[in-house]
Amino acid sequence: MKYIPFFGCMLTTKYPQFESAVRKTVTTVGMELVDVDGFTCCPDPIYFQAKDKMEWYTVAARNISLAEDLGHDVITTCSGCTATLSEVNLALKEDDGLKTEINKRLKKIKREFKGSINVRHAVTVLRDDFGIDRVAETVKMPLDGLKVAVHYGCHLLKPSRVMRVDDPDRPTILENLLRAIGAEPVHHDRTLLCCGKACMSDTIPDRMVIDILESIQAKGAECMGLICPTCFDQFDVRQIVLNRKYEKNFEIPVIYYFQLLGIAQGLGREEVGLHLHKIKVDKALNRAKAPV
Amino acid sequence: MSDSKHLPIPEKSIIKFEFREKLNSIAAGFRHNYCYQCGACVADCPAGFYSERFNPRLIMLKAILGFDDELIGPDSEIWECTNCYTCSERCPQDVRPVDVIIAMKNLSLKEGKAPALIGQIYDAVMTTGITTKISSLVERRREELGLSPIKEYPVDDLKKILEGD
Repeated sequence: MKYIPFFGCMLTTKYPQFESAVRKTVTTVGMELVDVDGFTCCPDPIYFQAKDKMEWYTVAARNISLAEDLGHDVITTCSGCTATLSEVNLALKEDDGLKTEINKRLKKIKREFKGSINVRHAVTVLRDDFGIDRVAETVKMPLDGLKVAVHYGCHLLKPSRVMRVDDPDRPTILENLLRAIGAEPVHHDRTLLCCGKACMSDTIPDRMVIDILESIQAKGAECMGLICPTCFDQFDVRQIVLNRKYEKNFEIPVIYYFQLLGIAQGLGREEVGLHLHKIKVDKALNRAKAPV
Repeated sequence: MSDSKHLPIPEKSIIKFEFREKLNSIAAGFRHNYCYQCGACVADCPAGFYSERFNPRLIMLKAILGFDDELIGPDSEIWECTNCYTCSERCPQDVRPVDVIIAMKNLSLKEGKAPALIGQIYDAVMTTGITTKISSLVERRREELGLSPIKEYPVDDLKKILEGD
């Protein structure tokens, strides 16, 4: 089956190792990726949307229209892109008046939003189009019960009216995808707490991240597993900052789900870019007998 | 002369209906009108838990009453929203408080009363097509990983579809 990947700003220009991990792992499962030229920022659901919602709809609709030309669904790999493209896609499908207004703008570049495709995070496509069992079939080196603290982030699940992926209060999708690769999902007191990145405050996001990390430590997880590069920003490099700022000793490796999937499929750690993380992952992966 | 048998009627209502009207005209910013102040949005709000002042119920109330000088400004509590959408899950009236807050952010930008960061990120997208900066390190890393080079972003298209706003 063919899909159009939308990697967004973060994977393309900051964490290309995530892009590489997605490309390698999802094609092993069976997705055929068809790249589209001309995508811009999704645009960003926090700041760009805060500037002007109509402009936010317009830029997102342009991106979606490029994918519509090829007629395949879009897969996203960042929760921010998922939030923007899913919400705009639905809003324009639901509201003909809004669609007409946005299409007036797109007409200036001879484009049109039709509402003919869907936008889904890559993990949703793995579960729904291929199945957890198919993901498990691609595993060569199960992760030996690696204890992974699950971090959902917000925009895979919410608003559930738009996302329609899972129960936002009792989700199971990431747990099942982790079990499929031999890992043991670990729940903690703050499993569903937001990473805080969108909150414009000097102290609130710090306190949120500290609470999440402490609650992961209390459960003895060996690493954290997540699906969004912005959440990754908050937990990987930020641990170093928080350790300095608040005299903490956090050392919890943070791993993007498709890197874990890659390791389980037999890819090397450098191939999926794990050597580039600020918090080193080797101790946890050695324990799980993962290939180097 | 006022009639002492009746309570004095203020010449002007203390409720600023014009703010509510203004908010109604912003895209997706009309649902505060449906809020009946039950407070279901408050319990699981992370910003509400960690901030001393952020309270989605009170923000909706201020919107209804038109307390614009508290809501619109670069130091307003609205910027502390984490955009997690938990309030939208809890609301029995489908108010979607995050969307109302985003409408207030749009209004702040229109009136030039927003934190500078918002405009900076918007400008980055409009001039480069993306929010992030491209470094030679990342370009080299893409090559090492066997990924295609980053293509130029079509910023002219963005300018055309957004001009006249």
